Parts: sequence; structure tokens; C-alpha cells
Amino acid sequence: MIDNDEIAGQVRMCAACPKMCRHVCPTFFAWRSDSPTPHGRALIIHYNNTGTQRLDSRGIEVLYQCLECSHCLTWCLPEIDIASIVEATRRQIVDAGSQPEGLIEMARSIETHHNPFEEAHSERTSWVKEKGSGAKSVIYFAGCTASYREQSIAESTASILSETLGYDVIVSDEEWCCGSPLLRTGHYELALETARHNVDLLNSVDAESIIVSCPGCLRVLTQDYPEHGLKLNKPVFHISQVLQERIETLPSGAVDGTATYHDPCHLGRHCGIYDPPRDVVERLMGGGLVEMEHNRDDAMCCGNGAGLRTLFPDKAREIGTERVEQAIRTDADFLITACPFCKNLLDAQSLERIEVIDLPELVKRAGQQEGQE
Amino acid sequence: MVDAETLSILKTRLSDVVGEANVSTSVSDMILNAHDAWPLSEARIRAGELLPTADMIVFPATTEEVAEVLKIANETSVPVTPIGGGAGTCGGTLPIYGGIQLDIKRMDRVLHIDHESLTVTAEGGIVGIELEEAVNRNGYTTGHTPTSLRASNLGGFIATRSGGSMSSLYGKIEDLTLGLEVVLPDGRVIECKALPRHSVGPDLKNLFIGSEGTLGVITRATMKLFPIPEKRSFRSMCFPDVHSGLGAIKEILQSGIFPSVVRLYDANDTAMSVSVHFDVEEGDCMLMLAFDGLPEKVDLEEQLSAEICLKHGAKDYNEGPSKRWWEHRYDMYYPTKFTTAGYSIGDTIDIVATYDKLEDVYHSMKAAMEAHDAVVMSHFSHMYPNGGSIYMIFFTSQPTAEEAWATYKRIWDDGIEACLKAGGAMSHQHGVGLSRSTYMEGEWGAAFSVIRQIKEVLDPNGIMNPGKVGLGVRE
Ligand SMILES: Cc1cc2nc3c(=O)[nH]c(=O)nc-3n(C[C@H](O)[C@H](O)[C@H](O)COP(=O)(O)OP(=O)(O)OC[C@H]3O[C@@H](n4cnc5c(N)ncnc54)[C@H](O)[C@@H]3O)c2cc1C
Ligand code: SF4
Ligand code: SF4
Repeated sequence: MIDNDEIAGQVRMCAACPKMCRHVCPTFFAWRSDSPTPHGRALIIHYNNTGTQRLDSRGIEVLYQCLECSHCLTWCLPEIDIASIVEATRRQIVDAGSQPEGLIEMARSIETHHNPFEEAHSERTSWVKEKGSGAKSVIYFAGCTASYREQSIAESTASILSETLGYDVIVSDEEWCCGSPLLRTGHYELALETARHNVDLLNSVDAESIIVSCPGCLRVLTQDYPEHGLKLNKPVFHISQVLQERIETLPSGAVDGTATYHDPCHLGRHCGIYDPPRDVVERLMGGGLVEMEHNRDDAMCCGNGAGLRTLFPDKAREIGTERVEQAIRTDADFLITACPFCKNLLDAQSLERIEVIDLPELVKRAGQQEGQE
Repeated sequence: MVDAETLSILKTRLSDVVGEANVSTSVSDMILNAHDAWPLSEARIRAGELLPTADMIVFPATTEEVAEVLKIANETSVPVTPIGGGAGTCGGTLPIYGGIQLDIKRMDRVLHIDHESLTVTAEGGIVGIELEEAVNRNGYTTGHTPTSLRASNLGGFIATRSGGSMSSLYGKIEDLTLGLEVVLPDGRVIECKALPRHSVGPDLKNLFIGSEGTLGVITRATMKLFPIPEKRSFRSMCFPDVHSGLGAIKEILQSGIFPSVVRLYDANDTAMSVSVHFDVEEGDCMLMLAFDGLPEKVDLEEQLSAEICLKHGAKDYNEGPSKRWWEHRYDMYYPTKFTTAGYSIGDTIDIVATYDKLEDVYHSMKAAMEAHDAVVMSHFSHMYPNGGSIYMIFFTSQPTAEEAWATYKRIWDDGIEACLKAGGAMSHQHGVGLSRSTYMEGEWGAAFSVIRQIKEVLDPNGIMNPGKVGLGVRE
């Protein structure tokens, strides 16, 4: 966490920057105004700090229009991290009870149902078909989106872990939301409550590691939990890392055609994981991987982050559509991502012009195609 | 400022034109959309000062919407300040008399690429980098490479008569613009047909190129395209002084060789920008060159240029400094702890003159500006066979805001006076906006009355960007 003095110094500098990174900000793309931009957000906070203009409801809205995607950081020479600054300010906004109405419902849902979708907790593991019986146990922390909205990612991940990689896969009925939607929108207290529950749960299970398929969970488990003094007693890996480690077990060139890969912000820019998913895609695709113009730390966000889709669904979709257009321009047959959140939005915006699938789903499909040959 | 009742009626009428979501009267939006990248505005923002704001901001999506907005503004005599990318350096977008800010960033489409004529037609609100990437995908470049490419937009480039860092080869925006669509202050839409050249009366489009929103709104333009050069090579030559460097530049360009990049750094600028990365003798002046085109042409031009430089006493630094500049050309515009500390302020006076006056302008401006507790460094760039531009860059830091803003003004006043006295013109590419507005009479002399008369005829109610370019200044 950056402290208030550091934030004040950074926003003072950024507020008057000649807009050097605005061209990559997805919310500038969606609104085409100087308000929802990196320097716009800094200026709002700077003027609040100097007392020039107190944060009003529009100012708060501008801060909640940020995807916290950190794309601006890639282009910022003085390395001003607007996403973190916005997140720290959102925390104060929530403490003052001034956050947007739509997010209050989301937070309530996590408090009551342990997921942001107002789904019954009892349904969380309804996708689980069978337990694995491998020699070594791993916990699969499926996360909310895969559990309720993208169950095929959860199923594929669990079956790869057990069938392809031979693990005994533990999925707990007591898994709660990792807290990512809460942390990213400023609801710290509630986030820490759910975090503590998860840490107690995960630490009590006898397993060699925790595997996630959601980069949002990965970031929270590996960075936010420790930052708040919550220690997990086993390592956490994203499924792409596990697959890269065991790449020789994957069928080479099993899926016909070419694929392009969308870097999820939480996996790429926030956790630095760029090559593992690419290696897996390269291995599985007969026609290989073709990069989009904007890739790796310069990849455009899918639009589904930090509460934007909840609060401004049209704009989230506009951003998602642009990312799909970028994928279509590569002429690839598939748009692969490695995040249930990204997959969900990109798939909805693809309108079947390109097939959107998540990495574990691709692996599963490769296994099936190989089986057919 | 517009009174509350007029404002409310205006808001309703304008919402009917562009949709409610595309009109804002929120104070925060007014603040966030007011300023461009004028260094004085930036310094004042850092100091926590509030800049002038509009009464409302309107985001049209089509030429027809722009026309309707202007009709309504004209009818009600409400000022209209167009916003392009909002990265101009002269305060052109500051709505100093309130009214409407007309932001055309939603007009961002590439409409047509003509592969036969090598032209592209696009809307005025497209950001430079978006247009460049779109034509790059088709194997072309616009040839317009200002370092504001990522922030400024096509309409803004044209409205300010901007110039890219490769203007020696590709030309400035006025050379690159073939056709224009403009909405006049009364809402009429006119088209200046896209043509390679013509002889059908005066070239009307040139009235609007550089008009900075004072005569109308540029909604569409047809621009030249060039094939992406097969080869680009870099060469750097170090001269003992500015004079010998300029001698070499003149000879290169006058012999018919047009490098894409020609930048000669004076001793101070070489020390600041080059010596940190390369071993350069104190007092030396670095010339950076680049050559674009077919490999055979590039090789020959580079070889001949190098021979000319050596003849003028240069030391050969090969591609190093020039290539490094190109790869890092955006870096110097980012804020740093040093340039933003306390009440620091810097700016660039981008003058232009013919060769017979250029060195004189340089020396007299430097002396005049340095007299005011300022560090001054300069480079000669955007060079042509008959003359070129100098970036007179200054920087000062003062203990209080008042002293800083006053010192800033004195540097400008005396710098411009020296420039005009020595026969230069006060801007090659940044425009006039607010920062140079008061010097327009001095710059133009009697000829300025012609511009005034044109303004009065086209904009009798004085609604278009009043107070900029020395036009429509109110008491
Ligand atoms: C980092 C940086 C680097 C720069 N490098 C260069 C450079 O290399 N070369 C160069 O020439 N300049 C440079 N500039 C200056 C500036 O970017 C240019 O002058 C640019 O052309 C301004 O365009 P804009 O879209 O940002 O215009 P804005 O700042 O939005 O507007 C500039 C003026 O034009 C008017 N205007 C804008 N759009 C329209 C329109 N569609 N119709 C009518 N009037 C309009 C506005 O009212 C205003 O008066 C740089 C600026 C920055 C911040
Ligand atoms: S984040 Fe960095 S590059 Fe972007 S506006 Fe702020 S200071 Fe400039
Ligand atoms: S984090 Fe993303 S959405 Fe937020 S300001 Fe930066 S680029 Fe824009």
C-alpha cells in the first residue's frame, strides 16, 4: 500500500502530465472524454488534497470508472500507479459510505452468499462431478466466476488436474469469494473478513499447493493476503503455470488452426505471468500462436474489471468489443484467454465471429481431439 | 459566464442535439476537460490553482451535430471553445469566457483509404496514434510524427498548423492536408475538396489550417499517405559550434537531400540531452539525422550528408545519438520530480526564420531569456532549404507562485521581442492560443487587420474561441 504522502506527490505530478498514457486507457477509449483518464483521476485527487475542489459525486464516479487495469503504468516513465492510487482512494470513499449504490449490493451479496452474484452458497460446488484419486493432493480454488458463471472452466481445470496431471483434487464446499471484487472497489474490512476465512480454510487442508484458474484470485492470494499479514502455508499457482511445468504431457498440435492470446490484466501486468499460457497455447495449436498488436504488458483490458461491468455495463461491453476486434484482426481461429472474467465478457462480445475459450477449456478440447484421432 | 436560466435552456436544447449523456454541466467535468498542455496551466494545476472553466461541455458525434450546436451557440451568442486532443501547448482550449466546450473526440472514424491516390479521409476527433496505426496496418504512414501523436488529434493538428519531427522530408500538416470539412460559426458546413494542387482562386483550406478554433470547427480531413519507408537509417555528427552545424544543414538541404530528421542541439542542449549517454566534448553541438525511403536512396543520401558534415568540421558519431533520440523521443515530456518540484516552470518558444536571420534570432533570444534567471537550451529542428525552426527551451524555478508566473511572463515577453526584432516569427508549429495572443499585433503588423476583418465576417457574434490568436479579446 502506498501512503498518503506518496500518493499526494504522485497525483500532483500526474495531474499536470501532458496526457502521455491516455491513448491506452480503456475508459478514455469508451468515453472519449478527459475525465475518465489516468491524469483526470490524478487531478481529481490532487485538487481534493489541495482543497481546490472537493471530491463531488461526479469525481467519485470518475474514480469508479477506472478498471484498475494498470495499462497506464506500462506507459508511465515516472511509474505512477494510478490503479493503486484509485484503489486507495476508493477505500476512503467506502469508509465515508459514499460508494456507488451498485457496489453496495455486490458487497452485501459477498457478505451473505460469499459470492458477488447473489447465488446460493450451497450451489458453489454444484459443478463438481467427481473427486480425483491421484497420489498428491492439490486444492483447486475455483473462485466465484468459474463456480457460478463459467462452470466449464472449473470442470476443465479440475479434470485436467486429476485426469491429465494425476492429482487428487480437493474442492472445498467452504470456499468463499477470494475478496478481489471487494478489495478492488475499496471494501477492505469485508474483504479481510472473507480473506481470513479462506486463509483458515486453505491452511487447514493437507495439500501440496493451491491451484487457481482465476488471475483475480491469484493476485489476491499471492499479493493482497500477505500484504495484510495473512499467510498461506502452501504455494499458490495459476493453472497456466502448472500446465507449463508439465507441458510434455499435453498433446502437441492437437487443435487445428491458429489462436491469439489475450493477457488478463491480473495475470500479466499484476502477476507478471506472460509466457506460461503462451507456451501452452503454442504447444496445443496446430497452427501456432499469433499475437495481437497490443500484447503482454501492452495488452488492452477486456473491460471486465474493478466493478466497471457492474456499474457501467455498456461501456464494459464497448471495451470488450474493441478487444475482440483486435483479436479478429489477427485472423486467428481462436481467442484464448486464461481468466474466467475475461472469457465471460469477450465471449459475450465476440458474437461468434471468433471462438473465445479459456486455457483449461482449450487443454480439455485438445485432449478430446487427440482421443478422437 | 452564462446565467443560470440561459444555461438551463441551452442544456435542454443541446441535449436534444447530441443526447443527454453527451452534455455535462458537472463542475468536475468542467475542471477535467478545461486545460491543454500549456506549461503555465500545468504549473498552476500543480500549485492547486483553479483554471478558467466552461459552463458546459458537449460531445457531438457527427458533423450535423456540430453544425446544430454552433447554430444554437450563435443564436444565443454563447462562446464555443473547440477541444481536440487537449494537448496543445498554448492554452488554446481554456474557456476563458466560459460558455460551451465542444469536444469532438467521439468523431474518431477513419472513413476511407484511397489506395490509388494514397490518401486517407478521417474525422477530426481521431487521436493521432489511432490514425497512424490504422494506416500502418495498410502499409502506409501519414508522415506526421509530432511527439504529441499519442494525445493530440487530427482536428487539433490541423487547427494549430502543427509539425512532426520529420517535417523536413514529409512536410508540416499544411503540406499533408489535401482537403477539409469545416463547420462555420453560423452552422454552415463547407468542404474544401481534396486536391493535390489547384488554381481555382485562393486556397480556402489554408484559412482554417492554423485558425485554432477561431473561425470554425474542423470536422473531417483528407490527408496524404506515404508507403512505410523500406529503410530508415540514423547518423549523428558532432560540430564544434552551432554555426558550423548550420552550415552543414544548409548545404545538405540546398543540395536537394531531404533527411527525415534534422536536429542540431546547441552546447547546452547537447550537454543536457546527449552527453548523459554519449561521450561528447564540452561545448560541442550534436546533429542528428535520419533518412527514409528506398535503401539505395537512403544509403546515398546518408553518405553524401556525412561527407558534407565532415567537410564542415564534424566528428562522426554514427547512428548512436540519433537513433537513441528517436527511440526515446517521448521521454522528455513526462513529468519528473525535478521539473515539477516547487514552483518550477519551463516552456518552449518554437520560433522560425530564414537562414539569413536564424543565427541572429538564436543569439538574441538566448541572451534576452537568460537575463531572467532561466536555463536556456536550444535545438534547431524542422529544417528546410530556406530556413528552419529553433526550439528555445527554458526552465526556471522560483520560491513563490507569483514570482514563478511573473518570471515566466518576462522570459516570454523579452524572448518574443528579441525574436521579432531579429526577423523571426514566434511559432513554427505550436500555434498562438492564449500564450502568444498578445504578441499577434507585433508579429503581423498591419496585416493583422486583414485577419481581424475575416474573423468579423465569418463570426460576427464572436462566439468561436474568443481571446485566442489575438482575436475576440473581451474587456
Ligand atoms: C508532449 C507534447 C509534445 C508535442 N510535440 C509537438 C510536436 O512535435 N509538434 C507540434 O507541432 N506540436 C507539438 N505539441 C503541441 C500540440 O500537441 C500540437 O500543437 C497539436 O497540434 C495540438 O492538437 P490537440 O488535438 O492536442 O489540440 P487541442 O489542444 O485540443 O487544441 C488546440 C487548439 O486548436 C483548437 N482546435 C482543436 N481541435 C479543433 C477542431 N477540430 N476544429 C477547430 N479548432 C480546433 C482548440 O480550440 C485550440 O485552440 C506537443 C504537445 C505535447 C503536450
Ligand atoms: S500515469 Fe504517468 S504517463 Fe499517465 S498521465 Fe500520469 S504521469 Fe502521465
Ligand atoms: S488503470 Fe486502466 S482504466 Fe484506470 S486509469 Fe489506468 S489505464 Fe485507465
